[in-house]
Amino acid sequence: MTDLKQKDETAADHGKCMLNRRQFLMYSGSAAAAATTISINLFPGTAQAAQAKARVVGYPRKKIGTLRGLNDNQPVDFSYPDDEQNSQCMLVKMGGAKAGGGIGPQRDVVAFSYLCTHQGGFMMGKYQAVGPHRVLGQCPLHLSTYDLTRHGIIVSGQAYQSLPQVLLELDGDDIYAVGMMGLIFGRDKNLMET
Amino acid sequence: MATNYYLPEDSTPLPPKNAEVLTTCCDYCIVACGYKVYRWPLGAPNGGVKASENAFNVDFPTGPLQAWVAPNQHNIVMHQGKPVNVVVVPDKDADVVNIGGDSSMRGGCIAQKCYNPKTPTRDRLTTPLVRINGTLQPVPWDFALDIAAEVAKHVIANHGANAYSVKTYSYQYVENTYAISKFARRNINTAAFTFHDTPSDVTSTPGFRDAGFDNFGPSYKDWGDAEVLMINGTDPYETKTMIFTQFIKPAIDAGQKTIWLNPRETAGVAYARSKGPDQTIHFQLYPGTDVPLVGAIIRVILENGWQDKEWIKKWVNNKWESSSGFGQGTRNTPWQWRTTWGKFQTKGFEDYKKWNLAQKEFDPKVAAKIAGVNVKDIYKAAEWLAKPKADGARPKSSFGIEKGFYWSNNTGNTNAISALAITCGAGGRPGQMVGRFGGHQRGGTGGGKYPRNKSPEKVPGRRRRALDTDRYLYSGHTRMAHVIGTTWIQSMCGSQGLNAKFEELVSNNPHQTRGWEKQSIIDTLKARADSGGMVVINQDIYLRDPIGSRYADIVFPAATWGEEDFVRANGERRIRLYQKFYDAPGDAKPDWWIIAQLAKRMGFSGYDWKNSNEVCEESSRFSRGNRKAYHMIKVAAHREGKTLHQKLAEMGTTGIQGPTFYNYATGELTGSVRLHDTTLTEAQIKREGRTQGANMVNKKTTHFNSQTGKQNIQKHPWSLFSDYWTWLKPKGDELWHSNGRINEIWQSGFDDVERRPYVTQRWPENWVEIHPDDAKARGIESGDQVMLYSNRVPASKDTIKGVFGNDFQFSELMKNGHIELSEAAVTAVAVVTDNVKKGVLYSNMLDIRQPTNALQGRVVDSISGNYNYKMGVARIKKLGESPYKKEFRSMSFALRNIV
Repeated sequence: MTDLKQKDETAADHGKCMLNRRQFLMYSGSAAAAATTISINLFPGTAQAAQAKARVVGYPRKKIGTLRGLNDNQPVDFSYPDDEQNSQCMLVKMGGAKAGGGIGPQRDVVAFSYLCTHQGGFMMGKYQAVGPHRVLGQCPLHLSTYDLTRHGIIVSGQAYQSLPQVLLELDGDDIYAVGMMGLIFGRDKNLMET
Repeated sequence: MATNYYLPEDSTPLPPKNAEVLTTCCDYCIVACGYKVYRWPLGAPNGGVKASENAFNVDFPTGPLQAWVAPNQHNIVMHQGKPVNVVVVPDKDADVVNIGGDSSMRGGCIAQKCYNPKTPTRDRLTTPLVRINGTLQPVPWDFALDIAAEVAKHVIANHGANAYSVKTYSYQYVENTYAISKFARRNINTAAFTFHDTPSDVTSTPGFRDAGFDNFGPSYKDWGDAEVLMINGTDPYETKTMIFTQFIKPAIDAGQKTIWLNPRETAGVAYARSKGPDQTIHFQLYPGTDVPLVGAIIRVILENGWQDKEWIKKWVNNKWESSSGFGQGTRNTPWQWRTTWGKFQTKGFEDYKKWNLAQKEFDPKVAAKIAGVNVKDIYKAAEWLAKPKADGARPKSSFGIEKGFYWSNNTGNTNAISALAITCGAGGRPGQMVGRFGGHQRGGTGGGKYPRNKSPEKVPGRRRRALDTDRYLYSGHTRMAHVIGTTWIQSMCGSQGLNAKFEELVSNNPHQTRGWEKQSIIDTLKARADSGGMVVINQDIYLRDPIGSRYADIVFPAATWGEEDFVRANGERRIRLYQKFYDAPGDAKPDWWIIAQLAKRMGFSGYDWKNSNEVCEESSRFSRGNRKAYHMIKVAAHREGKTLHQKLAEMGTTGIQGPTFYNYATGELTGSVRLHDTTLTEAQIKREGRTQGANMVNKKTTHFNSQTGKQNIQKHPWSLFSDYWTWLKPKGDELWHSNGRINEIWQSGFDDVERRPYVTQRWPENWVEIHPDDAKARGIESGDQVMLYSNRVPASKDTIKGVFGNDFQFSELMKNGHIELSEAAVTAVAVVTDNVKKGVLYSNMLDIRQPTNALQGRVVDSISGNYNYKMGVARIKKLGESPYKKEFRSMSFALRNIV
């Protein structure tokens, strides 16, 4: 996971790469429609190595922007996985800061929910690039910050989980949102029943 | 999920309408947020997204600050032998403490603390263990208890009560601490008794005690009501979050000025600083230099005549009052017990002033140089804290301290801050208070008096000092160590030397249990104690390394939070019931039960409790007169035909603030918002019926804890500490090494950071913050695996009697050969950050595998007997790169002070 190579940039190669990412993105015991069930080895070579059923849940595939359309460190807003309440997300090219789950030639394009996973604080306008660091926060409610280069891990603060990361795919120049890891604040399921 | 790795989930069950609701509080920090537990059977329908379908009565998705269940807040546990869902969330109905259901991430994820064999809690201790042929093996309770009791009786009969050392938590609920202290202090009557955070049973804040301040006098609201708040040696945002986010942050947003003494700029400090230099001063000082800095601030106040003259006239002891009193007078006050004459005592405020102005270190320029801070800020701080406004009104100033401050120069710092607070007129009025912010919750009730006269330790003067259990063990006097809910070793200073001694006395002793008969095990352990070795029994919820896994001969599995009804108070003395909501794992039992079984076998009476309420009710009278007095709750309960626990359950997460009072006429139970409340009127006291029946009124509610009820202003000489500080000060390429907590971790490894994948991912191992300049000079980058090492870890090795005034002074101990220098080495992952002052390293306070207390000096404060845990030095070098340096999964090296 740490050594993502350039070769999976094409849509064709991306399928292989997806499994790597989805192994931590898509684990779900929920009743949401399961598109595929694949058996994977989660952490090969570690004491915790375990076979787990990874479910690639039926998230929508939604075009959210183009690589060319992104300016360094200027987030673009979009809604995902639907247009309902709490779907506000941001897409950002982090000026060459390589990130877990990042796409593009520099692996620096990522997308996250805008809602703090502590108490639902809205963090629009809180993207910050400081030296090599890329964080979202401090949340205006209780000051949590998240590391956008490391899957939205908490940097400092009170959140109950990492910031939900939107899984991205690149098709030519088009950027697609294809899934989400972590429960969005305020929801009981990311994919709401309609 | 059966993995230690954090795997984000994207759904969580909602509690249904018919879920049972119980109240509890967080088990962790002092603040003790109120929580609700929703419980419903596994397999029964979960709640739905409509308000009419779930227990929260809200439609999902919810908006900011509304109810929500994060996946970490759900668990599956056993209740009465059947699996149930539990959702543990901050109480949205809370109107105190965590108002509106706020929480930290530590408490917010506390549902993951519950035993669930599918999670990393699977290794909870579930059965008693006895070491046979080198291995801890499961045995029945009777087998383990019989052995422990027989060996204990033998040790006490043949080697004296002091050979039986009890090292216990001070905080884990009144029922347990009452039982433990009744057993250890009343029945065994051992002087070798102390708590988890100190080598001897002494007051944590001697300066507060002597000035007359209770540690926990203020209410949380007082911190927010201050116009100027001085925060010393902590960032409340990091370690007592709700005090910050519910009380201090809103105050800062409304213009409160804050003054911080802290070598680090953490998120709370950074937030305050974002308000600009006209609202925030951050003294980023060198460890242990608080006395000159605080002394200099006082001097500026005195030179300008800004002291609170009216307050001082009315509330500060003058020459005669300082030496007055019968039984509590000068010959019988703690500062005389602890020292030789005249080091601290003054003849009143003018005498203090004269002394302060004569100290060369309190010249602001000198102080600024020692502390490494900007001298202009000293003048600014003095002005903010004490300069009367244009209309003559005084600024309302409050002063809070915590361990970074009082564990750096224990006596000196607590005396200095008391003097500053008194000068500013603080301590006894709303928004003008003095106290600790707090560490652990307050769950201690004394079941017996500490037998100080049996302690072999004597300080210069006449008084004995509580026995230093570390030095006593180190010198081979301890034959049986009874360790309850603490690691003992890593949580003390110079801990690698202490560990070596445990190994010598326990593991390397030739008398090791080989037989299978109970009697042969008993005989072997007796022989070990008689041969000069040591037997170890350990009560805990997990098998801890090394105290349990390597040294314990007998291990008793304990039941904990959520597994028994327990009572405890928080940092504003708020008393609540922590309800049992699920079955303790296996055969684990609460500590009060374990102690009772052991005590009965040893022939002690008074241990026939049937449940924890009976223990609580027996203990209540011992709380009378103290800050969390809960005796009157029992009186009220019994008059209403209820038990004490039942009455507290009715009060839910609101509880009641101690000391409590009961009006026999109206049946009304009232609490105390703050202690030392000089604004409290006689009419109110009368109205609350405080003078009737079993109610107990003492000085601390309306006056101060001193011989007269007024404040003692005391000296705080730098010279008592400066010899140690100067000796310790980094030499060559050494750096200061301090340690402490970090926001995301509360537990010292047994709970969140080792057994909660979300937290483990953030902090997978010990870390050390290093300033970019120090890192660059040593070729260290963030993510590098480093070695912290020192050959200058000083350790006191002898139990000595003080005769002359300065016998316990560090330089004298050194000169007379009572200090030995040892080596220590601890690995860590480097975090290069300008959060931390240049020249200072800061690491995790207690990673069980990489315990950084190993580097801190095992030398107690010469006056109080506490360790100055935050003081140490280390060299640091790169070993290589940690796996976290380049991976994206674990740790983060992003700055914590980005606002």
